[in-house]
Amino acid sequence: MAQSPTETPFGTQEAFHAAFAELYPRLVSYARRYGANFPEDIAQEAFVILMQREERVEHPTAFLYGTVRTLSLTERRPMKNQNLSLEVVAEPGLAGGADDLVLNQEVRERMRLLSPTFREALWLFVVEGLSIREIADILGIPEATVKTRIHRAKAQLKDQLNPSGGVHVLV
Amino acid sequence: MSWSDPARRFEPAEDVQLRAELRDLLGLGPVAASRPTEPTPELTALADDLRREAQRRSRTERKRPTWGLLATAALPLLAALVGLGTWGFQQKHRADGLVAQAQRQEQELTRLAALHASELAKERQVKEEAQQQLQLVAKKGGRKGEPYLVIPVEKPLKTMGDDYQRVKQNPQ
Repeated sequence: MAQSPTETPFGTQEAFHAAFAELYPRLVSYARRYGANFPEDIAQEAFVILMQREERVEHPTAFLYGTVRTLSLTERRPMKNQNLSLEVVAEPGLAGGADDLVLNQEVRERMRLLSPTFREALWLFVVEGLSIREIADILGIPEATVKTRIHRAKAQLKDQLNPSGGVHVLV
Repeated sequence: MSWSDPARRFEPAEDVQLRAELRDLLGLGPVAASRPTEPTPELTALADDLRREAQRRSRTERKRPTWGLLATAALPLLAALVGLGTWGFQQKHRADGLVAQAQRQEQELTRLAALHASELAKERQVKEEAQQQLQLVAKKGGRKGEPYLVIPVEKPLKTMGDDYQRVKQNPQ
C-alpha cells in the first residue's frame, strides 16, 4: 500500500518530528558503534531512504536500524574490513563514544565479555529497547534465533555474576 | 518506546519482563517511563530537510520500469528461442517428410520384389510343366524314348544355277 505525499512512515508530521527527535540520536549512536566515520550522514541517509520508499514500511524503526547497520558496514567495506560487525568494532577505544553516552564502565565491561554473537542482540533488545520482531528484521534472522541469542546472553551474564560455578539452566 | 511505531506498542509481557531482568543483570536499573523527547527546532528543521530531500529524489530519480526492463532484456533471448523453435519445427517437419518418403520407397521396393518373385515362380512352374509334358510324350510314343543321334545337315545357302548340265533337249 503506497503512502500519500502528506503522510509520513510514522503518521502525521508531528508524529514524524517526534519520532525523528527520538530516533535520530540513537541511530547516530548506533552507527558510531559500528565504527562509521560519518554517523550523522548515515542516520540522515537512512531517514531519506525510509521516506523515499513508495511502499509502506511495516516496522519503520527496524527499517531505520537495519539501514544504518547496512550503511555503516558498507562504509567500512573499502577499508577491507569485510567481516566487521557490531561486536568487532564496539571494543573500547574503537567506538566507545556511543557507549559512554548510555552505559557506565561496569556495564560496558559486562557487555564486552559477552560472546560477540549475543552481544548485538542483547544491545538492541536492552539498550535500544527494540522488540524481538524488530531485531529479527534488522539482523535478518528468525525471531526464535533472536530469542535464543538473548537467552544465551542472559546465561552468560549470570555466569559473570556467579563465576564460582553452579549449573544454570537456560530459561 | 515512545516514538510512534504502531508495531512497538504491543510487546508481549514476557518480553518486557525479560528486558527488565536483563537490565537488572547489566546493572542498568528498571526501565524508566521516559518522557517523549521534545523535538527541538534544529531537529525539526533537519527532519523537514530530509523529507524534502526524499521527495526531491523521488521526483528526479528515474523510475525503473522493472517489468519493461526485464521484457527488454529478455527480448533477444525470446527472439532467439522463437527462431530456434521455428527452425527446429521446420527441421522436424522435413525429417518427417523424408521418413515418410523412405517408407514409401521401401514399400514400393518390397512390392516390386514380391512381384518379381511371383513372376519367377510362375515361369519356373511353366517350365516344369512343359518338361513334364515332354517327358510324358516321350514316354508314350516315338522311339521308345531311346536316345538317337541327330546329325545336322548343312543346307547350301543358295541354289546355284549353273551347277548342273542339261543333257537332253526338251521335246519340241
